[in-house]
Amino acid sequence: MNLVHQTPINTTPPDLVRFEGVRKSYDGIHFVVDDLNLSVRKGEFLTMLGPSGSGKTTTLMMLGGFERPTLGHILLDGRPVERLPPEKRNIGFVFQNYALFPHMTVAENIAFPLQCRKITGAAAETKVKAALERVQLGAFGNRKPVQLSGGQQQRVALARALVFEPSLVLMDEPLGALDKQLREHMQVEIKHLQQSLGITMVYVTHDQSEALTMSDRIAVFHDGRIQQLDGPRRLYDCPSNRFVAGFIGESNLVDGLIDGFEGGEAIVRAPDGAVLRAPAVEGAKAGMKVTVLIRPERMAVHNADGPERQNIVRGLIREIFFLGDHLRLSIAALGLDELLVRIPAAQGEGLVANAEVELAFAISDARILTA
Amino acid sequence: MWLPSYATPGERAGRIAVLVFVVAVLAFLVAPLFVVVPLSFSNDPFFTFPVPKYSMRWYEDFFAGNRWTDGVLNSFLTASLTTVLATVLGTMASLGITRPDFPWRKPVMALLISPMIVPIVIVAVGGYLFFGRLGLTNTRLGLVLAHTALAVPFVVITVTATLSTYDANLTRAAQSLGATPLVVFFRVTLPSILPGVASGAVFAFATSFDEVVVALFLTGAEQRTLPVQMFSGIRDQINPTIMAAASMLLVFSTALFLAVGWLSNRSRAAK
Amino acid sequence: MDTTLEKIKILIAVREAARPARRAAFSLALPLLVFLIVTFVAPIVLLLFTAVNNPEPQAVIPQTLAALERWDGKAMPEEAVFAALAKELAQAQQDRTAALLGKRFNYEVPGMRSRVVSAARMALANPTGPYRERFLALDAEWGSPALWAVVKRNAGTLTPYYLLNAIDLQQEPDGSLQRVEADQRVFMTILGRTLFVAFTVTFLTLVLGYPVAYMLTIAPSGVARIMMLCVLLPLWTSLLVRTTAWVVLLQTDGVINDALLALGFTDHRLQLIFSRFGTVAAMTHIQLPFTILPIYSVMKSIPPTQLRAARSLGAGPLSSFWKIYAPQTVPGVMAGGLITFILSLGYYITPALVGGPGDQMVSNFISIYINRDLNWGLASALGVILLTVTIAIYLVFLRLVGAEKLRMG
Repeated sequence: MNLVHQTPINTTPPDLVRFEGVRKSYDGIHFVVDDLNLSVRKGEFLTMLGPSGSGKTTTLMMLGGFERPTLGHILLDGRPVERLPPEKRNIGFVFQNYALFPHMTVAENIAFPLQCRKITGAAAETKVKAALERVQLGAFGNRKPVQLSGGQQQRVALARALVFEPSLVLMDEPLGALDKQLREHMQVEIKHLQQSLGITMVYVTHDQSEALTMSDRIAVFHDGRIQQLDGPRRLYDCPSNRFVAGFIGESNLVDGLIDGFEGGEAIVRAPDGAVLRAPAVEGAKAGMKVTVLIRPERMAVHNADGPERQNIVRGLIREIFFLGDHLRLSIAALGLDELLVRIPAAQGEGLVANAEVELAFAISDARILTA
Repeated sequence: MWLPSYATPGERAGRIAVLVFVVAVLAFLVAPLFVVVPLSFSNDPFFTFPVPKYSMRWYEDFFAGNRWTDGVLNSFLTASLTTVLATVLGTMASLGITRPDFPWRKPVMALLISPMIVPIVIVAVGGYLFFGRLGLTNTRLGLVLAHTALAVPFVVITVTATLSTYDANLTRAAQSLGATPLVVFFRVTLPSILPGVASGAVFAFATSFDEVVVALFLTGAEQRTLPVQMFSGIRDQINPTIMAAASMLLVFSTALFLAVGWLSNRSRAAK
Repeated sequence: MDTTLEKIKILIAVREAARPARRAAFSLALPLLVFLIVTFVAPIVLLLFTAVNNPEPQAVIPQTLAALERWDGKAMPEEAVFAALAKELAQAQQDRTAALLGKRFNYEVPGMRSRVVSAARMALANPTGPYRERFLALDAEWGSPALWAVVKRNAGTLTPYYLLNAIDLQQEPDGSLQRVEADQRVFMTILGRTLFVAFTVTFLTLVLGYPVAYMLTIAPSGVARIMMLCVLLPLWTSLLVRTTAWVVLLQTDGVINDALLALGFTDHRLQLIFSRFGTVAAMTHIQLPFTILPIYSVMKSIPPTQLRAARSLGAGPLSSFWKIYAPQTVPGVMAGGLITFILSLGYYITPALVGGPGDQMVSNFISIYINRDLNWGLASALGVILLTVTIAIYLVFLRLVGAEKLRMG
């Protein structure tokens, strides 16, 4: 299974980081990270997304120098760095709990990496001031971290990780402790900072919407392996397996058997006997058990008019949930007890529970997953 | 009294009985400590209550000759050297042992704590035999080495407890910002765990300052410490000067106790 | 997927990758470990060695012992043995080591000290044969095979004698083990007394300490702080100050006797100091905080809602306490009780100052054999016994509680 899109050699922009066959195990039996081959391009925002225990944080720790790979190599600017201690890597790191030094003021915290590099006096002061301005905390230099709000502490951590101008910044769930509104605000802010400074960022999160919002590319981790590495759009539309399909966005995963092919379309039989058409994919063969992914928002109740050729299936409405701008319908159909359908609230007029209903969706919106 | 509103009358009566019992136990804990204080101010050489006439004569006696003051000096010197050695060694070891990668943590910890557990006479006799061969009996160095071994568990226990609440990400953050291990320790880790290290140091000081048995076996007249002086005094002929010494020690240990209380409050406030 | 060879390679790689961090962590603890091995473990190992060390016979009469090797153990030894002994004792008399040898044999054969010393004097004064007759003329016991059996037994530089003696056993001339004479069986009594006092003190501290720990958890914070002060202040007070206080309190004309008389509990002054009562009272006072603190820290972690839940489910106040609360405090009771028991085993100062002759513990006898009798072997052997008991209970503590659970204050 090779789902990782290998970057061809000699393309631009060049790779800043390369993981080559990296494996990490603590006991020699289980691998926390397995078969990791990943390149991070210069200037890109790459997110490692996955549930807890999927190996994404371990990968980040190995890149930061806090863990050593059991096997394989990590190349930073073409040089292997597995044996380089963190303090020699010149990588900025932002931690989930910020890890601000509690006994130092904000300015002292930011000056710390400069002192480590023997930058002191006026030069350091200028840099600290600029760093504070950059995160809109110009007036807070003399405060202690405990006197700041969570969002402000987050900004200080960011300023501290950027002040020594690292070419690469790593972030480990940096927004996890903030409330939703602040988190969304900071997402935008971090993205803007990354773009304006032109730095490379590797970002770890378990929040898929955060990953979709911020990233140039997303590596989806599961069971220590990268399941898919792609841009946000492609990841959502063309997930390469059931896990990615289920993890990114809401999804209906229908079991099916391929009956045959017809003009570039596969004919799939659902457990309840309904027949679906979906674009054929590489590797799909007649008689094969597959999964068909249908996103809830791509389905309409009744026969929607459209230029596309459509799949039409029948189902029984079990429950209807009102969410303001839209309705969520739980429908027994295609062998699923709870097929999820999301429709604009205005289209839900007259729908009641326990009523039979007809669902329609474009053939191109049904995606066959062979894994 | 500290009972939920749903308490039954029987429960109330029981609670009062327990309360009386607890107050009695607390009195048993504290009252004997203070019996020495009035006696030390007594004019009378016999230990009688109520004190017939107050005077400072036993304190004057204490400070008159070299016998007691030399003991105080020796104790301070020994305890200070012990504190420095035990705190440095104990803090280093605690830093190692609290790391997740530390090998054989349980047996090592059991060994580091064992000086607290092994009967003091065995430490004393072993020290007497072993240090004698090295020519370290009747030297201050020998006493300091033995006392350091006894004081180390207290430092290890206090500092590892403090380190268990220390955020390892602070170390990682400092490393990622370019700090070498020494810089990490002195600029980030040590300031964060300083209250714990300081309480460990106070414990180490108190351990050495209070220690009698090892001092009895290992030292000669030159290094005679205050507790040894007191021990011989009580065993041979108990006299009121000992009460003066005991009262001053009581004040001193109360001060140390308050110092540790203040330190632990500080470390809690820093969290 | 991975072959066996590959698995081994991976295991090696795992160790390899973890090694620098392990090394770094261990190297921080290394100075202290080395320090403790030199200043703490080595002395104890030397103590263990001293308990079986038997240097005197081989140092003073090596040729005699060599000559004895051929002796059958039944009849009187040959003239050659006596000749060797005479020669070596004459030398010993000059080196002033004869008395040491005599003292060593005297432990096992009564009267040996003077027997050896006078034989040495004789051997130096008149170094001519026939030696056997002259030895027998000096003391007929020199003809006893039992005496020579003891001498022969001590040909080695190690001896079980002290360890056996420390548990009231002795080796018969024929090598079998026997209990010593009833009137000499002191050490098991002393060990039993030490265990008994430690147990009594542990029991008392638990009975007195448990309610205090409980009240500490439920009292309002202000009151609890004062209570905690009462528990911690004695812990910080010098052991000697506390013992001094007890000496004063327990004196025949001391405060406790005054109070008992005044309250009419007794019509004459009681012997409280130098008694078992005084020893146990003072030790209980000193150990009480050590018992209370672990119980308290366990009780503090039990959510108070549990008792409320028990009551809501229909349990009465007493049964909810005994069935719900008390079982959860067992770890604390274990920790506090074991610590106090272990520490009580090693008491020296308090029995020495407050106890009478019948209240001296193993520790005190170790000190007596070192300081008064200069019998290092026996002192060390008693040390081995005490250490063995202590370590056994320490291991139980480590198993049930764990070293990392120890907290100060």
